[in-house]
Amino acid sequence: MKKYVCSVCGFVYDETVGNPEGGIAPGTKWEDIPDDWVCPLCGATKAEFEEQAEDVGSDVPQAPVEDRVEDMRELSFGELSALCSNLSKGCAKQYLPEETGLFDELSQYYQSRAEPVDGDAQVGALMDLIAQDLAGYPAASGVAGRDDDRGALRALVWGEKVTKILQSLTKRYEAKGDALLENTNVYVCEICGFVFVGDKAPDVCPVCKVPNFKLARVERS
Amino acid sequence: MHAVRNVKLCTKDCLCLFVCPTGATDTETGQIDAEKCLDGCRACVDACPSHAITIVPDTFPAPQLKTDAVKASLLSLAGSKVKQEQTANAIARQTNNPILKQFASALSKSNRLMAEDLLREAGYLLPQSRNVQDLLQSLLDSPRTDDFPREAAQRLLELLEGRTTETTEKEKNMAGTMDNLMEAFAGESQANRKYLAYSRKAEKEGKLNAAKLFKAASDAETLHALKHFEVAGKVGGTADNLKDAVAGETHEYKDMYPDFVKVAEEEGNKAALKSFEFAMKAEEVHARLYQEALDSIDETEEVFYYLCPVCGNIEKSVPEKCSICGVPGDKFIKY
Repeated sequence: MKKYVCSVCGFVYDETVGNPEGGIAPGTKWEDIPDDWVCPLCGATKAEFEEQAEDVGSDVPQAPVEDRVEDMRELSFGELSALCSNLSKGCAKQYLPEETGLFDELSQYYQSRAEPVDGDAQVGALMDLIAQDLAGYPAASGVAGRDDDRGALRALVWGEKVTKILQSLTKRYEAKGDALLENTNVYVCEICGFVFVGDKAPDVCPVCKVPNFKLARVERS
Repeated sequence: MHAVRNVKLCTKDCLCLFVCPTGATDTETGQIDAEKCLDGCRACVDACPSHAITIVPDTFPAPQLKTDAVKASLLSLAGSKVKQEQTANAIARQTNNPILKQFASALSKSNRLMAEDLLREAGYLLPQSRNVQDLLQSLLDSPRTDDFPREAAQRLLELLEGRTTETTEKEKNMAGTMDNLMEAFAGESQANRKYLAYSRKAEKEGKLNAAKLFKAASDAETLHALKHFEVAGKVGGTADNLKDAVAGETHEYKDMYPDFVKVAEEEGNKAALKSFEFAMKAEEVHARLYQEALDSIDETEEVFYYLCPVCGNIEKSVPEKCSICGVPGDKFIKY
């Protein structure tokens, strides 16, 4: 009997135990689990699971670290908006109300000036970008690890997990359509951006572990 | 450093009202009055049973320096997240399907949070950091749009300026040179005075050529000292310089010379005692005059100063005789 680990939240599927709450009887082999089964903790699809290695100490082959040779480009208006909205939050944490408001003003200004997306916007376009990001994370984490940048590494680890969840959700939405969300709720973690689809938000965010009062419900208008 | 109250945690036990020595905790806004708050006395922090009060520093340590490789990796991903946020916004805008709209809103929010996180780790973590201030300055210097809210950026720069203890990379690399400049300033200043003393002695001994050379060299050391001091960035605005002068003179007459006087008395060195006492009394006068000048810095009416050539006392009108050393008033030098 084997075990499989969710690469997003660390949930372990043990073939001996199964997942009775999710309709999977004890003793069910991994390959016999239906493809639409998802991680009971975070909602990741089967594709995000990895077989638990017997020998925990073995070295995982690392992606080669290569520096990206590109000039520092000018930040886009959308990026400036995100940068300023984050600085606004930073000022709020320091109890600086005037600075909070001013960074928010800049953020909204840049958001209003950002180039709108042309034409018919599709979930499929998002899926392409998500796949591209997931291909880029290992190299980025390699650079952050080599340069001993814990902050960057932390952001990349969380970001990669959240991106995997977005991949799971967009794939499930493409397969099931509105039925995925029809009779349930959607939550977004206000700290790391984790998205959860389910009746009740988990106790803590499966990615950044913040208690669930930070998981905000996205209302249907 | 001052205390702040997290109103979300405050359970209105109000112990802070009783323990605060200045009444800073008692405000209409629910926040602690930073002006009244003592410099981190912590009485309210320790008394609060709901742990709603914390101390926030006025300045923050320098954030970790980001390598270009890390920055490039983070910016590349942030760019993609922003694109996804905007695509999700477009989906939400274009569709009439409330479920798709809801899903797209969640995706947009998620991508905004990831973009924020990546950008903050690309060197924009602390609002007070040099990096953020440089960015704001560059946005002001070359705005890419006509209606850029200049006032907001300008006001932010004013508010953020000087609130980080960060030294720039350049300054860090020049720490040794900064020390050397100040050491050279001290050495040259002493040499200037020393050669002036030698020059006067040579004059008295009738060795006029030597006297001339000592005087010229003394002036040369003044040039060196002034340049070193200026390059070290120690010459500020006049208001700051006056404040610095008040502090320096006050230290001398209150702390330094009283100790020197005591030792000279104990050791029975009368000449040193007299030199120290004259200086001590004169420095007290100097401190007062610097303070007056600071208080009336914007006044334009001309003031004259008169220097006692014996003890260094300075008066604002010619006295009958020096109040410190007794030299007749007609010896005073007008400035």
